[in-house]
Amino acid sequence: MRYFLCCITLVFCAAQAHAQQPTGVKAEDTPNDSGGSITVVWDYPESYEKAEQIRYIISVGEFENGPFHSAKYNEANLQSTDPGTFGHGEETSQKIFARITAYVAPTDPPKRIAIENGKTYYVQVIAHLPSGESFPSAVASAEAYENFFNTLKTNNFVLGTIFSLVILGGIILAQKRDLFIRRIAGLEALDEALGRATEMGKPVLFVHGLHDMGSVSTIAAVNVLSRVAHRTAEFNTELRVANRDPVVMAVSQEVVKESYLNAGRPDAYSDDMVFMVATEQFSYAAALDGMMVRDRPATNILMGYFYAESLLLAETGASTGAIQIAGTDSYTQLPFFITTCDYTLMGEELYAASAYLSREPKLLGSLKGQDIGKAVLLIVMILGTLLATLGNQTLTHIFTAY
Amino acid sequence: MKEFLINIDRRIIFIFVALGIIIPSLAALRLPIHITEDVKAIYDTIEEVGAKNGTILISFDYGPGSLPEVQPMAIAVLRHSFRKNVKVVGMSHWVDAVGLAQEAFEITSKEFGAQYGEDYTYLGYKTGGGSLVINMGNDFHNAFQKDQQGNNTTELPVTKNINGLADFDYVLCLAAGNTPDGIWIPFGQERYKFKFGLGCTAVMAPDQYPYLQSGQMNGMMGGLAGAAEYETLIETSGKATAGMGAQSVVHLIIIAFIILGNVMYFLYGRQKGGGQ
Amino acid sequence: MLFLRRSLPLIIAFAVGMIGILVYYIPHSGAQALEQELTTWYRIVAAFALLLGIYSLMRLHWNRVQRQQSGWGYSFLVFVGFVLMSIFATYNDGQGPLNPQVIDSGPFVWMFKYVQVPADATMFSILAFFIASAAYRTFRARTPEAAILLVSAIIVMIGRVPIGEAIYHALPEIAQWMMDVPNLAAKRGILLGVSLGAVATALRIIFGIERSYLGGGE
Repeated sequence: MRYFLCCITLVFCAAQAHAQQPTGVKAEDTPNDSGGSITVVWDYPESYEKAEQIRYIISVGEFENGPFHSAKYNEANLQSTDPGTFGHGEETSQKIFARITAYVAPTDPPKRIAIENGKTYYVQVIAHLPSGESFPSAVASAEAYENFFNTLKTNNFVLGTIFSLVILGGIILAQKRDLFIRRIAGLEALDEALGRATEMGKPVLFVHGLHDMGSVSTIAAVNVLSRVAHRTAEFNTELRVANRDPVVMAVSQEVVKESYLNAGRPDAYSDDMVFMVATEQFSYAAALDGMMVRDRPATNILMGYFYAESLLLAETGASTGAIQIAGTDSYTQLPFFITTCDYTLMGEELYAASAYLSREPKLLGSLKGQDIGKAVLLIVMILGTLLATLGNQTLTHIFTAY
Repeated sequence: MKEFLINIDRRIIFIFVALGIIIPSLAALRLPIHITEDVKAIYDTIEEVGAKNGTILISFDYGPGSLPEVQPMAIAVLRHSFRKNVKVVGMSHWVDAVGLAQEAFEITSKEFGAQYGEDYTYLGYKTGGGSLVINMGNDFHNAFQKDQQGNNTTELPVTKNINGLADFDYVLCLAAGNTPDGIWIPFGQERYKFKFGLGCTAVMAPDQYPYLQSGQMNGMMGGLAGAAEYETLIETSGKATAGMGAQSVVHLIIIAFIILGNVMYFLYGRQKGGGQ
Repeated sequence: MLFLRRSLPLIIAFAVGMIGILVYYIPHSGAQALEQELTTWYRIVAAFALLLGIYSLMRLHWNRVQRQQSGWGYSFLVFVGFVLMSIFATYNDGQGPLNPQVIDSGPFVWMFKYVQVPADATMFSILAFFIASAAYRTFRARTPEAAILLVSAIIVMIGRVPIGEAIYHALPEIAQWMMDVPNLAAKRGILLGVSLGAVATALRIIFGIERSYLGGGE
């Protein structure tokens, strides 16, 4: 009987030891990186009740039979932080992932050795129990290499390509037939505002927002400036362009110069028309407020991205009796402009300004493409909300940024 | 009188606003402060980073104009960080933030005996915006080879193990402009996936909610109220807490004027076309 | 000449734009190095552009002083400020221009702390007065939509300051809900439109459809 019990105990211990050994160990190149890293995956331990208490050590060696050295890795379960790579399914929550970028060589002092690309490494996962016992897994091998495409961004790439094609399609369509564009009051009023300045013999002040040339709102503002300068050249009205960023100033100078040249008035252009005011936000606002109060321009055009200075500028401009047209995609500042300006271009209207003013089919076509894109997004949002409510996350995952 | 109330001269409104700030400030009016989850999230993250003796990056992106709102946040977060042994690396996208950041470090490091280079460093200002953030994400030591005082970042204990932005346990942007949604989120957090928090002026705060809900930002301090909440959380009363009394009174004054304007509009203004 | 003024900038815009898009999808170290190089170049160009800005600023104000235009005294102050700050920065509290900037003493720090900081803070503080005046003049419940906006604004204004909780304990939660739900919904809508517009504008520039930034349209 004693012999029988002892046998059962041994079999049980062996089974338990076997159950505690990390299983399903796989090593592979870490996807979507520039190399120098290996990802090790193994099964979440089902048989051990206190799975969280197990401490895993990953050993790395350059030969299958060793020696193995302990690796540097992030102990977090990557499944929860990197679903883009490892998926959202139930099965992945049963896996543990670790990313190895280096291991420690047992020299004196210990030396950190980085994982090299194109070299085969052998990996072993060792489970350490609180009792002090440890159970090594089978050996797996992998090679790190540089990836040429980040698969995490596939959704971004596909959606971006489709949207670009829709816009290009809109442009082709616009060249074949006339497209309708709704009336934008602020832009319709532009000629009237410039005409008023001409009648009064007072200058037009064009104020750029605070962003640099990398911002779309600044580019859109420069596009509007180009049309405004063309008109002021035709009307022989004085134009002043205030800048906060030196690059924007240099571009604006070129734009105004070209517009005056195209309008047949190169003689009326001077570099001093486009000037630098200040690089600091409130110095910029203070200097412009001073100009508005002293020179009393008949028309103030405020285009670009604005911050807290928006109300300071627009309220001062309103107090001088100038016609004010503002355009911004800074929606926090929109209420201030709507309150104090005669006309306000809101968000996308600013981007559409160039197409609207020029009536150039190619530009109008891109607006049409943009509208189609927006309609598609609306449908996707409604569908996504419905599906998510019904517990299906597929669409949500497709549109998630990783 | 009727005409006067329909079109109150703006200078009279200015006087009320001025008194609404001066009197509560002089009387040191103190009110209990309600803690919001967004501010608590930043506090909790600093606690977590402190527990593992980690490193955070603070981007000081504001100028003297927004100093009353944002500087108290900087001081409160630095106090909390140094108290919890969190290592701090500072930098700026705004050139005029340099003096303010240095002042915040000076005040707080003296209080807690934090050592320059060991516990914190300030890298100074650099141009580039988004491109600077990309440079920092790819190769931190290349983007900032030296700190403000000319020390090599590869040698300073606080920065020597930082190879890219992802190595920071938390990145906190204190901003008065476009740096959170124009620079840090699209070029930083989106690419390098670090934990990101924001302290910003009150006028900017409503803009930032989409990023909070999407998880690109884990917490936010908005305006003086946000700073006061953080000061309450770290149990150190500062300038923000002191300013909340005045802010409350001014809000009430503005509301009173709005209500008065509407009452007069409904009583008399509508016949006159709006009382503008 | 036309090639330099028109075609070359378009080629550069196309090439740099496409590289900027593609490297976002390519994790390979070669692509990352290229991106690093391009962004470093941009920073260098931006730093040099600052010199251009200083030149423009000085020229504008010099002309004003020379012609004694209205407010030329302010223009003169620009020179005083520029020269003084340059001298103080170079002096660097006795350390000279080659040493790191002294951060806690010296005339440069004094000017920053006691001139620029109060001047800037004053400009910002004027907003409080302007907002009060603008709110009084324009916040009128002319339509049902305006009335809803008005009530929401009042709730948020009170709910965001400590006195809100003293007036009614649930006000901060209501204000927070308004920020988190209706405000966020509206912001999302605008943000989506703005983002699509930004993508479309970027594409127009990359493909050379939008050329106004080069001056004068077609």
